[in-house]
Amino acid sequence: MLTKQSDRVDPAAAKQAIFEYCKKRGALAVGVADLATLEKIAPPGHRPSDLMPRVKSVISLGVGGQTQGTWQMPAKAMAYSGSTEVRAYKVAYGCSFFIEQKFGIPSIYVPPDIDPEGGPRVPFQSLKLHAEIAGLGARSLAGDILLHPEFGFMYYASVFTELELEPDQPMAENPCPAPSCVSMYRAIGRTPCAKFCPAQCLEGEIDDKGAQKLMRYDMAKCAEFTQEYEAVPKILAEAVKDEVRTHGAEGLLDPDRKMLWYKVSAGSGAWFAQCFECMRVCPIATKAPASDPILRTEASREAVRSKET
Amino acid sequence: MARGLTREQLGVTEAMIATYGEAIFRMSHNLQIRQGDPVRKLDWNQIARQREAMGLADVQIAQRLGLSKAQVMFIRNTEESRRFRVGQQAYLMDLGGGKRFRQERVVPFEERFAYSEDALALRSTLRFDGNRVAEFIAQGWWRDDTLTKWVARHATERPDAPAIVHAGASISWATLGARVEGFAAGLFRLGVRPGDVVAVQLPNVPEFVVAYLAVCRLGAVMTTIHMPYRGSEIESLLTHSRAKAIVCLAEAKEWSPGATALKLRETISTLKTVIALGPVVHGATSFAEVQAAAPNEIRDLPGPAAGDPFLLLYTSGTTASPKAVPHSYHTLLSNARLGVPEHRITGTDRVLSAAPFSHLFGLYALHVCWASGASAVLLPAFTPPDLAQTVERDRPTALWTAPAHIAACRAMGLFDQHDFSSLQLAIMSGSACPPELVRWLAARLPDCAVTQLWGMTETQAALYTRPGDPLEVSALSAGRASPGTEVRVVSPGDTVCASGVEGELQVRGALAFAAFFDNAAANETAFAEGGWYRTGDLATVDAAGNVSITGRGKDVINRGGHKFNPRDVEDLLDSHPKILQSAIVPMPDPVLGEKACCFVALRPGVTDVALEELVAFLAERNIAKMKFPERLVVVSEMPLTPTRKVIKGRLKIPA
Repeated sequence: MLTKQSDRVDPAAAKQAIFEYCKKRGALAVGVADLATLEKIAPPGHRPSDLMPRVKSVISLGVGGQTQGTWQMPAKAMAYSGSTEVRAYKVAYGCSFFIEQKFGIPSIYVPPDIDPEGGPRVPFQSLKLHAEIAGLGARSLAGDILLHPEFGFMYYASVFTELELEPDQPMAENPCPAPSCVSMYRAIGRTPCAKFCPAQCLEGEIDDKGAQKLMRYDMAKCAEFTQEYEAVPKILAEAVKDEVRTHGAEGLLDPDRKMLWYKVSAGSGAWFAQCFECMRVCPIATKAPASDPILRTEASREAVRSKET
Repeated sequence: MARGLTREQLGVTEAMIATYGEAIFRMSHNLQIRQGDPVRKLDWNQIARQREAMGLADVQIAQRLGLSKAQVMFIRNTEESRRFRVGQQAYLMDLGGGKRFRQERVVPFEERFAYSEDALALRSTLRFDGNRVAEFIAQGWWRDDTLTKWVARHATERPDAPAIVHAGASISWATLGARVEGFAAGLFRLGVRPGDVVAVQLPNVPEFVVAYLAVCRLGAVMTTIHMPYRGSEIESLLTHSRAKAIVCLAEAKEWSPGATALKLRETISTLKTVIALGPVVHGATSFAEVQAAAPNEIRDLPGPAAGDPFLLLYTSGTTASPKAVPHSYHTLLSNARLGVPEHRITGTDRVLSAAPFSHLFGLYALHVCWASGASAVLLPAFTPPDLAQTVERDRPTALWTAPAHIAACRAMGLFDQHDFSSLQLAIMSGSACPPELVRWLAARLPDCAVTQLWGMTETQAALYTRPGDPLEVSALSAGRASPGTEVRVVSPGDTVCASGVEGELQVRGALAFAAFFDNAAANETAFAEGGWYRTGDLATVDAAGNVSITGRGKDVINRGGHKFNPRDVEDLLDSHPKILQSAIVPMPDPVLGEKACCFVALRPGVTDVALEELVAFLAERNIAKMKFPERLVVVSEMPLTPTRKVIKGRLKIPA
């Protein structure tokens, strides 16, 4: 039977055990976000307590975004790399069980889905906000995508628990913009992410000290390019009005649209594609010290080699 | 619905959407503006100040606007759905993924190229039997060949080798490739797009080759106009083909093609551009100007596909009304590629076509050159002396020629005056070939293989004899089917004839066209069951599969129920010392139905010939009396097709 936190649980030891659990299962970074801060920033209906009334702690974890090879893929393939975030969800899912089984304290894996009462593109919770407050990333000029100075670009997942843990702090420094991006901005007035965004949905300004001054993200433009789910009801509506781009039902079954039906019927998350072009050209996402999975795991491979010899 | 409630239950009207839609769209997450880094720094004042700019949740917007959250969600959702265009994800493949975004690459879908209605109509004509096409592909006959690829390959692999030899000078593959790219870019700038038809009326000059390949480079379609054609004939072809541009001479010997084309442009709505080669013609674009265009304008334009139409050729006019034959690269290039080893042509050969490039036999010479890498030796326009001089000067190894060309050279004694010894192959085609002429040429050029070829605009090279065949095979027949081609000889009712029995020649295979363009009446009768094309030619086939063309079906004369083909009589008359060329046509007769009327053109210096002379000449040679001509008409000149075939339809019997 699950109980409230008792004196026998040492918060520091529990935090360490939880972090070890998450890292063992693939998390690159784990942190605890300050609950009060989240409650203050998140809008009503999307605060942690709206999902779990007796929540005491918000654990955020990040897993590696892309392999080094992924950045070489063409755009059409990159757009489907998004489903790798499920690995973060699996870790968080396991972590919530781990806390309950280890400490007997209620926990939940925060569903990353949209809020049925919030409408399209409105999630239950902002996993990004959790991660930012937990110190797992800082907002970039690339549409506020979080970046980590060591791990680059990560996928995040969260666990809410009634276990009270010491919160971590947001990052002291923001790795974005990288020095090379500042140089480029000084030369041409744009950073790589803004320059190469296919939707041209990014604008930014950098101040004299090389820090972010302004970030402007036209999410509608980005979504129009990358989130095809708007298309499904729309093309049906067009078909009803017989305003499809070809003729009647033929328009519903042209190759582009047939792919949508396939994705819908297959239940693939990939129809919420992202294009990743801003991350492809981001030196932090691709070149941060531990963003490269090959370099990141060199030590463990070296250990195996040593054992073999 | 929102939260289970309908629009009516929420009270959301179109008026509300119009009133609040813009504000809700802007205040929501659709546009996010952040100054500094307030969240990470937990700068509460800044967070509060920027909250709206960073994007509000529906509930927050509702508070600001005084609407319910459900109403805001409904209006926001409606706004987003109405604004977002669908299918935009495809841009990512154009603009991202290593190519990196460039503003100039952004071309809205609605502004992107689409084939014109005329182009689609022409493309629709290329409807082949799916099962047979699968076979053509499985056999390796239809491949991904295009002229653009062939020429590019030679330009890469043998850039300095001669592609064209003209007037003693040569043009390398690299230079030809560059000139083609330039002219193609110029055509593109003038509005020529994939699928458009471009008419070309030029002699066999390098500019013809450049124009042809440039049209192909753009994925457009060339239609040729024979050089002798004038105003009304040109008008008819330009109108029917829907040509968008015409490339022609600025000035010719006795008329002005450039001025004629400009005048036609005033009345033919589809004709937009006149490109004139030679002196400046006011209102026309000069060939040189078009060719000077920067090739990078079409750098990103993909080349044509093998299934695209690239030629729209009109039949040579031996039937009453010309018919338009569209060809894809598949049909003609497979035939040319497979023909190369059969003709024993290699990349070191030099091929001269005495036939005009406006005719498919002439184009076949080019296609064979480009399939093999051989050089094309150009003869701008045939005259017997020019042909002889070109052979002597440019030393071609292979000659594409018509029997009439050889006969004319022989009549002028040119084989005695010029060196023809470079020739290793002579292919004769275009009209019935007298066996005696083949034997004579073979004897005159002992190191040259003299072969015959039979083809049509609808098929290119369907039959030919091969180098190495016994001379009598080439003298007496048009040879065997080309690779990928099937032929048969049938009696009325399409029953296959026994060996040696005359019937209609029918053809099918990888080389054959699919249908005439915009001519439903012709298409109705063009094909027999099984996709066999009714050629209209009469033929016999021997046991070895060699086909002898014996005449045209419509040339058969029915004299009181006795039907005969006048071809053998014509062959004999052509060897008469007074006769240069003969043609026998039926003339109406109230008793017998039809009788034979003989038209003759006399050799130089001969002023007259009598019917009795000819009849006696034939009688001496054991020709059946019923085949004797019963009327004689002497003409100064025979109406000829570009391949020197008599156009019998134009021989009018005087009253």
